[in-house]
This record gives sequence, C-alpha cells and structure tokens, in this order.
Amino acid sequence: MASSQLVKVLIVDDDNFTRRIYKTMLFRFCFEITEVEDGKNAIQQFVDGNEYDLVLMDKHMPNMDGVEATRTLRGMGIPVKIVAITDDASSKDTFMDAGADKFLLKPLTFSMLTDILKSFNFLN
Amino acid sequence: MDYVHLRRQAASLRKGLFDQGYLDEQFYQLEDLQDDASPNFVEEVVTLFFRDSARLMANIDQALDKCVKDFNKLDVYMQQLKGSCTSIGASRMKTDCSAFRECCRDENIEGCMRSFQKIKREHSVLRQKLESYFQLLRQAGPVECATRPNK
Repeated sequence: MASSQLVKVLIVDDDNFTRRIYKTMLFRFCFEITEVEDGKNAIQQFVDGNEYDLVLMDKHMPNMDGVEATRTLRGMGIPVKIVAITDDASSKDTFMDAGADKFLLKPLTFSMLTDILKSFNFLN
Repeated sequence: MDYVHLRRQAASLRKGLFDQGYLDEQFYQLEDLQDDASPNFVEEVVTLFFRDSARLMANIDQALDKCVKDFNKLDVYMQQLKGSCTSIGASRMKTDCSAFRECCRDENIEGCMRSFQKIKREHSVLRQKLESYFQLLRQAGPVECATRPNK
C-alpha cells in the first residue's frame, strides 16, 4: 500500500462528470483522490514519484488510452491495482493482457465499487 | 407559493422521464450519491454532462461536415458520447449513439447523419426536461435546499 494508511486513488477518465461521479463515490470512504484526463497524465503522476493504491482507468481517452497506459505502468514495474472501467466490452482481454487487475463495464455503481474495494482489502 | 404542488410537479416530471425512457436506473445511482455533503450533486453532474456532451457533439458536427468522412474518428467520438450517456442514465441517447456507431461500421454516411440529428433532438429534449425538473426542485425548497451550483 502507498506510504500512509489513507488509500490513494487515481481516477483516469477524460469525462469531467464521470470523474465527478467516481470522486463522490470515493469520498464516502474518505480516500485521497487525484484525477487526470488521460493515460499520459496518469503515467506522469507515477514518473513524478506519486504513489497510489488504486487506479480507475477508462479506455478511450486522448493522448494515451487506458490499455496503453496500463501496459506502460506495468512495464515500469508499477504494482498498483488497476481497475479498467469502460463501456467497451470488447476491450476486456486487451486490458487484462496489458496488466489490469479487474475489468468492469460502465456504468460503475456504488455497489460495484464497494465490491472491488473489498476484494482488494481497501475497506477495514 | 404552493411548495407541495411544486414538489408534485417535480415528481411527476421525474416519473415521466423514466416512463418515457429518457432516463434509466443509472440516474437512481446518481440520486443515491446525493447527500448532505453533496446536496446539489445530481444537478452538478447533469450540468457537466450537458457541457461535455455539447462539446463532443460539436466535434461530431465538424467531422460530419468534412468532405472526406473519417468513420473511425466519428466512431471514437460517438463511443465517448455513448459512454457519457451510460454514466448518467440517458437511455434514449445511448440507444441512438449505438445506432450511429452501426452506421459508422457500415460506412453509411446518410444513416450517420440521420442518427446524429436524432441524437441532437434527444439531447435538446432531455436538457429542457431536466432543466425544468431542477428549476422546480429549486422553487420547491426549502426542504430540498435546491440551489443552483456555482459554474
């Protein structure tokens, strides 16, 4: 886990309101949240030395999509939990091959998020 | 002012949005996220949706105006729009987005144009209805404490 007890989440999605929805869900757990608009900025977060426990990764984004960002993070040896969240069902295998830990179809519901957080032991 | 009447109007408008298929159960998810910590959450998210979707639709308009149609690019834009519609529960728009994408796959430009006109109409109607709904909620206060979010 990232250095501190607070769970740190990186939201990677080019939709303003999708990020808003995820943030509101995650605020209920008092997590620390950072948001970026594309895969390239997601990578930069880690290059800059930031640590995260969880990444919520969209697929279709400008500059760098979620699959490429996932593959790049794994290539950098970043062990963060990556959950792909997209409405592109056909991208599941690609995402998992790239190194995602879980794949979810949009829309993300609060119960889906809770289940994921429990599966990663982020909820005490 | 008759707040009970206004609340009933708001409730009726909301029910109509679901009964007529404009919204699906995903919208309930958004309403469930609204609480004292985020009292205007639904209206804020809806406002963001219409702002983002208008931008995407302008991109699609530009792409459709070009002499040489890039169906891949059109499909990517529409996939984004469809994703947004899915997240907010805009059911009819989501269906129309799927129809547009089918036309892209078939490289059927006339079909794309027709679908897109439908999407624009649905977008406009949904926007009007939701704006009316939130206006009623604001007027029906103070219980709902509906206030216009800062933009």
